[in-house]
Amino acid sequence: MADAGARRRRVFVTGIGLVSPHGGEPDEVFERLYRGESAIRKVRTGTAELGGDALVAQAEFDPSGIIPKLQIVVMDRVSQMAVVAAHRALAESGLLADESGPADMGIYMGCGLGGSQALQDSYRIYFERRSRKPKPATVPLIMANGPAGHISLRYKLKGPSLTYSIACASSAAAIGEAFRAIRDGYLDRALAGGTEAMLNDGSVAAWEVLGVLAKEHADGPGASSRPFARDRTGFVLGEGAAVIALESEAAAQARNAAPIAEIVGYAGASDAHNLTQPAADGQVRAMRLALADAGIVPESIGYVNAHATATIAGDRIEIDAIKQVFAEHAHKLAVSATKSMHGHLVGAAGALEFAITALALNKRRVPPTANLTEPDPECDLDCVPCAGREMPDLAVALSNSFAFGGSNAVLVAKRV
Amino acid sequence: MSSFAHIQETLVSKYGVKPEVIKPEATLTELGLDSLSIAELMFDVSDHYEIEIPDERANFNTLGEAVALVDECVKAKGG
Repeated sequence: MADAGARRRRVFVTGIGLVSPHGGEPDEVFERLYRGESAIRKVRTGTAELGGDALVAQAEFDPSGIIPKLQIVVMDRVSQMAVVAAHRALAESGLLADESGPADMGIYMGCGLGGSQALQDSYRIYFERRSRKPKPATVPLIMANGPAGHISLRYKLKGPSLTYSIACASSAAAIGEAFRAIRDGYLDRALAGGTEAMLNDGSVAAWEVLGVLAKEHADGPGASSRPFARDRTGFVLGEGAAVIALESEAAAQARNAAPIAEIVGYAGASDAHNLTQPAADGQVRAMRLALADAGIVPESIGYVNAHATATIAGDRIEIDAIKQVFAEHAHKLAVSATKSMHGHLVGAAGALEFAITALALNKRRVPPTANLTEPDPECDLDCVPCAGREMPDLAVALSNSFAFGGSNAVLVAKRV
Repeated sequence: MSSFAHIQETLVSKYGVKPEVIKPEATLTELGLDSLSIAELMFDVSDHYEIEIPDERANFNTLGEAVALVDECVKAKGG
């Protein structure tokens, strides 16, 4: 046991590992976002009869070199991306030695749908081939904790291995819960993040009928995700994994690890309102509780990485919630929606956006909301339109994640 | 015709097994597979030959025994 029941300990981010629509190298991902570059493309999905074009943000991803073929055959894409992101986080933090991580490390992962390609494949065999013999590895391929299990196995991590599934806020909760375990002395270090890989026919069709996906914009696929814009039409599904290495201050100092940022607060709160429609009340409480958890006043916050998926109702509700929490200070905040460029990674969204927030603090520059040429008059905060911004005094930031099911998770990070 | 060549090619291309270690007398565990990947391999091979290997027969150890079992099922299907 690390130091259970101890006074609150500081928790540092010491590594970031990404598999994202903008690539896998954190600094490069950040620069591409800072420049306002969209990774959203139009691709053909489905079968010959049912095919259609879909706007998606596919991850730049090649597992070869990190995962042997023998393991790939029993891993869904969702786990492959998680292992590669975990590998990069361990390597970047300096915790990877002889292909293993520290044995006492915990794993806190978020995932919305699990191995959705394997699920689709198994149903295809059952219903199309009328066979009761799907692939033998179907269950471990599909299970939601497959990614965490593979990370543990691969890097010999023997701390707690947990998987959180609260849709779009899954990985924000995973990071928050890992932060608490370390802060409160139950653990010295953890890998925390999320993964999602559901850009397959069946899943995309299910999202399409929900009526929340963006229509293609006249200026092309890259202009289609338009958070806070007057002409926004919904979100674009993305895929990827983001994993961060978290360590207690003492653990990081003992090995002279240079922190990228510090996590100082986290809270979750529920809307208890509607399964798919958000409510300002739950978001307000989540933000207030996270600020209280961090012990800081709202006026210390300089940047908010918004959840902002670009649905008509959702963006307005979030702006309203931010105004309620920050009052006059709301107009001094920089609020940006990076989903405008990397799409909505659902179970990996919170972790990718938290990683971007940590990098923004580290670099004192914030990424823009792309495509925000004409703002919705009701989204009247400074949403960093179209161009990234230098913020030399940026010290504390918020990352919002609000989910279907009415679950809200908010993380507070601080420059080190 | 023996299924050895097809299984060998699958082991190399899909499972990443080095060609030089693939010999009929090697056990699949020696080739680096575990229970789950052995089951996946037999699924792939059954799929290719459109055969069904009875569960009670899936108690082979070496690659040669697996090849013989597949060949027998292919022959049974053909006949």
